[in-house]
Amino acid sequence: MLSLLLQAAVDGILLGLIYTIMALGLSLILGVLGVINVAHSVFIMLGSFFALGLLTLLHLDPAVSFVLSVPVFFLAGAAVYRLLIQRVQRAPATIGILVLFGLMVVVETAGILLWTTDTRVITVGYSNLRLSAGPVTVNGARLVAGGLSLLATAAAYWFLKRTLTGRAVVAMADNRDAASVLGMDVDRLSMLIFGLGIAAAGAGGVAIGMTFPFAPQDHIQWLAWAFLIVIVGGLGRVESTLLGGLVIGLVQTLAGVLLPFSWVFLLMYLLLLVLLIVRGQGLAGARRREL
Amino acid sequence: MTATAPELRVEGLEAGYYAGQSVLRGVDLRAAPGKLTVILGPNGAGKSTALRVLAGLLPPAAGRVLVDGHDITRVPAHGRARLGIAFLPQGRSVFAALTVHQNLELGGWILRRRRQDLDRALEAAYERYPKLRPLRDRPAGSLSGGQQRLVEIARMMIADPRLILIDEPSAGLAPNLTEEVYEELARLRVEGRTVLLVDQNVRAAVEVADYVFTLESGRNHLEGDRERFERELGALIRAWLRV
Repeated sequence: MLSLLLQAAVDGILLGLIYTIMALGLSLILGVLGVINVAHSVFIMLGSFFALGLLTLLHLDPAVSFVLSVPVFFLAGAAVYRLLIQRVQRAPATIGILVLFGLMVVVETAGILLWTTDTRVITVGYSNLRLSAGPVTVNGARLVAGGLSLLATAAAYWFLKRTLTGRAVVAMADNRDAASVLGMDVDRLSMLIFGLGIAAAGAGGVAIGMTFPFAPQDHIQWLAWAFLIVIVGGLGRVESTLLGGLVIGLVQTLAGVLLPFSWVFLLMYLLLLVLLIVRGQGLAGARRREL
Repeated sequence: MTATAPELRVEGLEAGYYAGQSVLRGVDLRAAPGKLTVILGPNGAGKSTALRVLAGLLPPAAGRVLVDGHDITRVPAHGRARLGIAFLPQGRSVFAALTVHQNLELGGWILRRRRQDLDRALEAAYERYPKLRPLRDRPAGSLSGGQQRLVEIARMMIADPRLILIDEPSAGLAPNLTEEVYEELARLRVEGRTVLLVDQNVRAAVEVADYVFTLESGRNHLEGDRERFERELGALIRAWLRV
């Protein structure tokens, strides 16, 4: 039993790292810009197909696609910000949610037309590799995906904490007017953070695609998971998302030891529901935690 | 001060927060170069709104903002910092999660590609406001109200602005700290910067002012130099408080 729990803990931590990068963009975009990006998960789905496409067309290892996804999805995110978000920024928040919901439906539908509703998997040399250390066995793909996710999360942390531009983002999240009168172009910084959030979603999608089967219509689960992580960990800060991701990864794998597989999903959704109620103001309650 | 102080002129300013609801209904102002000009008026007269327009945070519905004759009405807020214009907003505006030093560093955002100049400006700020030196690595949000105000002032001064807009600098401060704030305002004036001050603290503001405007219901009311207002102060305050 102990070795079973140890195995679940190791799996849970790796899963938690993947979940962290998967949810990081949602947390940053909500925490810094106050935008609830309900289209977040379609970029995760696109990330998975990005890796699959590069693998089938160019035989690129998904680890390479993970790195490539960052600039590609950054540009996509920046474009979405310019074309959609900036236009509705001064409108009530519900308008923004509706616009992003529309984007989600459009992208999902396009994905289904392009790739059908078939479930795909990404299989590379190390996908079924089993590395053993004592009583613990680790799946190769999960180890690579978890390691890359940790690196990307560390890079995001470094950017926000150690660079002047990162601190300008923190400043803008705190007081947009005070930041702009000091000379910070808050529209450009917002575009930057939206781009980075979508880049994290795309990279997260590559990591998810390396670990789980995926289909264009399956992304909603990741949206729910990402919200769960944001609510558990708190908003905006990278370390909060890491905490939330690890908690959810561990809860899921440990519950998997004790419960049948289908029950784990139910448990996670119940957790989301309970937390939204207990936290009172739901996401607004999470927002109150300082960046 | 290296550069000369600019003149600020405002002509026919109309502005508001909602369509069809003007807060300012045609206001003319002038802040003379190197002088301290004060805008007074009862609550809701449009004083703070005028400053928000001047800082570039609120686009006016009509009217022009001129600095040394150049029309800057359409220049966005972040672009005005580069023109040597600074704005100290009302209420708490430190970046709470960042340290005092990081706050000051962001005050020099427009100097960020000239690291040496920025470092020099930061050192000058600690010289000018020595009380901040021991607080350097404290999160700004953990400081007292007076200390936060000092951080905000120091942060504004990093870029060495020549035209300074200040909204209610002493609101919510203890009396001894209020005195320090007005000493600082007097110093800005001595240094030959153009200062435009909005204040509820009528007596203290008029004491440091060179010239005074009053607004009522979004329109110009009175204007004149300090001597004139020192005489009429009691009557003015009574009128605004409706006592």
